[in-house]
Amino acid sequence: MAETGLFPIGSRCFLYQVDCPFDLNHQRRFWAMADAMAERDGVAEAVPGMTNLTLRFEKVPEDLDALERDLQRLWVEGRQKDLTGKILEIDITYGGSGGPHLREVCDLTGLNIDEVISLHTAPDYVVFAVGSHAGYCYLGGLDPRLETPRRKVPLQSLPGGSLSVAGLQTGVSASAGPSGWNTIGAADVSFFDPLSVPAALLMPGDSIRFRAAEVIA
Amino acid sequence: MTLEIVKPGLATSIQDLGRPGYFHLGIPEGGAMDRLALRAANLLVGNDEDAAGLEAVFLGPEIKFGAEMTVAVTGGEMPILLDGEPRDNWTSFNVMPGQTLSFGYLKAGARIYIAVSGGIATEPHLGSRSTYAIGALGGFDGRALAAGDVVPVGAAPLAEEGLSIPEALRRGPGKPAELRVLPGLYWHRLTEKSQAAFFDDAWTVAPEADRMGYRFRGGQPMEFVDREQPFGAGSDPSNIVDGCYSYGSIQVPGGLEPIVLHRDAVSGGGYFTLGAVISADMDLIGQLQPNAPVKFVRVDMEQALAARAERKQIIEQLRESLNQPG
Repeated sequence: MAETGLFPIGSRCFLYQVDCPFDLNHQRRFWAMADAMAERDGVAEAVPGMTNLTLRFEKVPEDLDALERDLQRLWVEGRQKDLTGKILEIDITYGGSGGPHLREVCDLTGLNIDEVISLHTAPDYVVFAVGSHAGYCYLGGLDPRLETPRRKVPLQSLPGGSLSVAGLQTGVSASAGPSGWNTIGAADVSFFDPLSVPAALLMPGDSIRFRAAEVIA
Repeated sequence: MTLEIVKPGLATSIQDLGRPGYFHLGIPEGGAMDRLALRAANLLVGNDEDAAGLEAVFLGPEIKFGAEMTVAVTGGEMPILLDGEPRDNWTSFNVMPGQTLSFGYLKAGARIYIAVSGGIATEPHLGSRSTYAIGALGGFDGRALAAGDVVPVGAAPLAEEGLSIPEALRRGPGKPAELRVLPGLYWHRLTEKSQAAFFDDAWTVAPEADRMGYRFRGGQPMEFVDREQPFGAGSDPSNIVDGCYSYGSIQVPGGLEPIVLHRDAVSGGGYFTLGAVISADMDLIGQLQPNAPVKFVRVDMEQALAARAERKQIIEQLRESLNQPG
């Protein structure tokens, strides 16, 4: 399990992670912490990850022990940020050339294609964090029966709109790029527009619902 | 004022010093892979150091100028030709409307930076003109330049011709390139043997080396300390619960080939990172070709900060070298 504490990524960039369950209530605490830390002097960015928070500072922070104590206090206070209530419905074509690993996921999970799709379209997924690439949403709520390992060798390039699963996570890629996840479908959706404010379509606290528009076995 | 791309080269793009501050939207900092070289090119033509210029990798573009301007080319070593006549790199020269800039074959390094007086003047996106091609953001329509593109250039007076950066300040990678690494986040997940091997092994740049990241091969596969698998991570020991990756982070999918994340890298993910190449050495990576030999050199925080201070001093010396009267 992840150890609780503040860990250096570089000299001005630190990760605060907590040994806590991977669920919505704990994630809502990281969102609230990110908002609180973003207000602080010297903090360039506070970015929620999955059960962690990355802090980027303008200068090398002088007192890391004090910083860690402050973060711990914020965590223990346990303030939670609410869901926004925004839900985006996305039509998915499961399988076919846009979902090359659907069969592999069936093999890995011992489920048939219909079962995988029915489990995958069942929940409303909450955006736990935004990152990886522009507008990409990390989602919570994947059924544990769909848990699969990440791929040993990441694919060099996968088109935008690819629906993938890995571990207890799922998501739709917002643009073409490399991926170490198992891709089971594709969608025609744009998560990112540089000319909009904010530029990302969804933010932590928004939700996504998947609909099986087509299944190519 | 404009310049026209006659031939685009391999992947020539508009870059400035990047757009920090959008990690929370999943957008990397972006910007020039060799920041020092872009700063130098801008200083030579009288621009602000963070003005936008052109970054060309491996193969130079061919450019026709639509107006009189001052030009400087820095970074990797590539013969410079103005209407077929040689010009010096790291040195300012003036061009006339209708003249054409072209390049010979790359002799050393990987990337050149072309600055023009007034700077490239495309519309900034999220505070920067840097091209982030994966997000179709910034630069020229969010993409690498293509033949026929007419690129706007800011209005500015001509700069002094023949200004030059002293040789001693033109830093390129050695052979092998020594990249200093600060062990970090998940260093403890490697066995002692693998920790030692990472710094002892001879690595080379893999063909998968671009603005997102540089992959290295040739070292031994890494061994991991046993752990209890965290919820969000896969069963592979190189997987972690997803978090941010910073610029310079070294991830090792499957424990096999380290990838140093560069300016256009994914902003986060679920592969463990063993540490980070210090910021002072990231420019060197931007000048590495595939198959170049590399050694990773271990440093502590104090040494990393000293290296950063030293690099700041080099930038200061660059500025001073150009401020000396004629």
